[in-house]
Amino acid sequence: MGAHLVRRYVTETDTEPDPAKKFEFDPQFGFDERKEREMVASQEQMNLAQLPLEQRDYCAHYLLKLMKCKRDNWPNFLACKHERHDWDYCEHQDYVMRMKEYERERRLQLRKKRIEAKAEAA
Amino acid sequence: MHPTSLMMTSSLIIIFVILTYPVLTTLSPRPQDPHWALSHVKTAVKLAFFVSLLPLFLFLNEGLETIITNWNWMNTATFDINISLKFDHYSVIFTPIALYVTWSILEFASWYMHADPDMNRFFKYLLIFLITMIILVTANNMFQLFIGWEGVGIMSFLLIGWWHGRADANTAALQAVLYNRIGDIGLIFFMAWVAMNLNSWEMQQMFAVAKDMDLTYPLLGLIIAATGKSAQFGLHPWLPSAMEGPTPVSALLHSSTMVVAGIFLLIRMSPLMENNQTALTTCLCLGALTTLFTATCALTQNDIKKIVAFSTSSQLGLMMVTIGLNQPQLAFLHICTHAFFKAMLFLCSGSIIHSLNDEQDIRKMGGMHRLTPFTSSCLTIGSLALTGTPFLAGFFSKDAIIEALNTSYLNAWALALTLLATSFTAVYSLRVIYFVSMGHPRFNPLSPINENNPTVINPIKRLAWGSIIAGLLITSNIIPIKTPIMSMPAVLKLAALTVTILGLLLALELATLTNKQFKPTPTLTPHHFSNMLGFFPTIIHRLTPKLNLFLGQAIASQTIDQTWLEKSGPKALTNLNLPMITTTSNIQQGLIKTYLSLFLLTLTLALLISY
Repeated sequence: MGAHLVRRYVTETDTEPDPAKKFEFDPQFGFDERKEREMVASQEQMNLAQLPLEQRDYCAHYLLKLMKCKRDNWPNFLACKHERHDWDYCEHQDYVMRMKEYERERRLQLRKKRIEAKAEAA
Repeated sequence: MHPTSLMMTSSLIIIFVILTYPVLTTLSPRPQDPHWALSHVKTAVKLAFFVSLLPLFLFLNEGLETIITNWNWMNTATFDINISLKFDHYSVIFTPIALYVTWSILEFASWYMHADPDMNRFFKYLLIFLITMIILVTANNMFQLFIGWEGVGIMSFLLIGWWHGRADANTAALQAVLYNRIGDIGLIFFMAWVAMNLNSWEMQQMFAVAKDMDLTYPLLGLIIAATGKSAQFGLHPWLPSAMEGPTPVSALLHSSTMVVAGIFLLIRMSPLMENNQTALTTCLCLGALTTLFTATCALTQNDIKKIVAFSTSSQLGLMMVTIGLNQPQLAFLHICTHAFFKAMLFLCSGSIIHSLNDEQDIRKMGGMHRLTPFTSSCLTIGSLALTGTPFLAGFFSKDAIIEALNTSYLNAWALALTLLATSFTAVYSLRVIYFVSMGHPRFNPLSPINENNPTVINPIKRLAWGSIIAGLLITSNIIPIKTPIMSMPAVLKLAALTVTILGLLLALELATLTNKQFKPTPTLTPHHFSNMLGFFPTIIHRLTPKLNLFLGQAIASQTIDQTWLEKSGPKALTNLNLPMITTTSNIQQGLIKTYLSLFLLTLTLALLISY
């Protein structure tokens, strides 16, 4: 824990990608076929539920299900454990995907550096 | 109108009517019933609490929020000021909590203040405070919020200085008013800027029109206002001094309701703040500094009420940190859970103080666990909730805040300070428990200790229930508006707990050191720094008046006297004229020498001119 900070500020300052900036490499690079993720919840559904902008992500359909479950089961506030878990798990998967994208970018940067070093040595 | 919204708006208006009615009855010329405080005021607040549960349940069940505009007060062609009440997520949840806590405190106050000849007036002041607090919380425009803001400030002044025969109480009340006034400068600046640039004080219009504007200056004004009201670093000394007031006042105003008004203001204005990184960073750093500084000061205090007051200030700093993380809902959750356990800590302190014949120094308490087991147990529950013990009320809010801080792309310095303050919280909480409950009594045995009175026990019991289950209830019923980050390494997840346990172990170690009799210890610099509250009041309360008086003296004597009189006015004329006069008089003395010299001079000049 904290290895990413050591890499960014101490050991690999030139290759470590900045998560706040756009990534350099093409998302399709190295893949045969990569489909863009699709939203399951429609714009209309999210508007009707009055979801805040930040919560209109790829897990919004689970959130909408959770909100409906909560409203249907009130006052039993212990009823929606399954829906809550589904939403949390989807957000966790989203987080894992973002980490994987970051790691991919980092490895591609290192690969680029290795290729350049080899070209220079040759 | 739909029956549900009709029910909601009616219940909310009824709450205002129920709370205002006892105040209006005091205006009649008939002599007041000596039990008016209990029969009218406490009943009104209890009834208002139960009525406020209906809007709460409607909100939880259906997500119903309403805005009621009652009266067009001052409307011009371009600017409107209305009486407009906003019952959204924040005010609908806060109102029942404030009423519940106030109900418990009023019941406790009927015992605590029973020897006071003016108990009816005390209760009237508390009720007026509650009304102005609810006006502040439900305000939909800045003017109404300002009415509530000033109202709670004035009632705070009157209640802190309740025992006005005591000089310290008067000083403390004045201190509270002055520091709040400095904060008000920020709020008035914000209101003026908004009135000029956004052309309205209604919140909906403010948020809509301010979309792409640079709001740094008005937001800094808001932050100054919150600094004053919520005792952030720089404008914080009034809060520990406010402990001069009676304990029910400390429990209601200076822990649960009034001091959170500044944070509440920032939560209300969070749509304006969320895009302004300068304002957010200011809040974060100010909050982190406040939480650590006040936790440090709490470590070495000996007055039980001052320890709890500094603890309040530290938690307010934590709420400010949460605002700086752009998580207003988490800050609001902490306001709600904090109200329960902090009020309970104050009520337990008040019960112990009265039981020990008005002794407030923890060095003269001890062994209360065997003497007042219920109060001491509730003190422990409150302290555990404060330190964030898993699954009590404080855990849900405090741990969530620290997790959000750990997983955000932000300031390591603020994080370090906040974690250190969390460990200090455990240290001073254990210090209170160790000195008050554990060990042997260090006071004379002839004190009126008893826990027989239900007016003492029932309020503390109610607040204890709140401290245990409030966090669970609120988080289970409300879906967060901002998605919390649930994925983090185990170290980050357990950081708050680890730091608290480390603080607890450190405090236990230090406590065992007091078992041995050492030689008289010299004054250690860190202890002195903490005990003197960081020298902040010592410096500021003496330096500022001294500078002002010197400046006044300089202006009066130098600018006015010296410049006008001596350098440019009458004396200057004198000084200019005097040499000329002296020279002229000296020449015309009637001496032959002078005449002969003049004759010679004239002759020489005449000869020179002709040749």
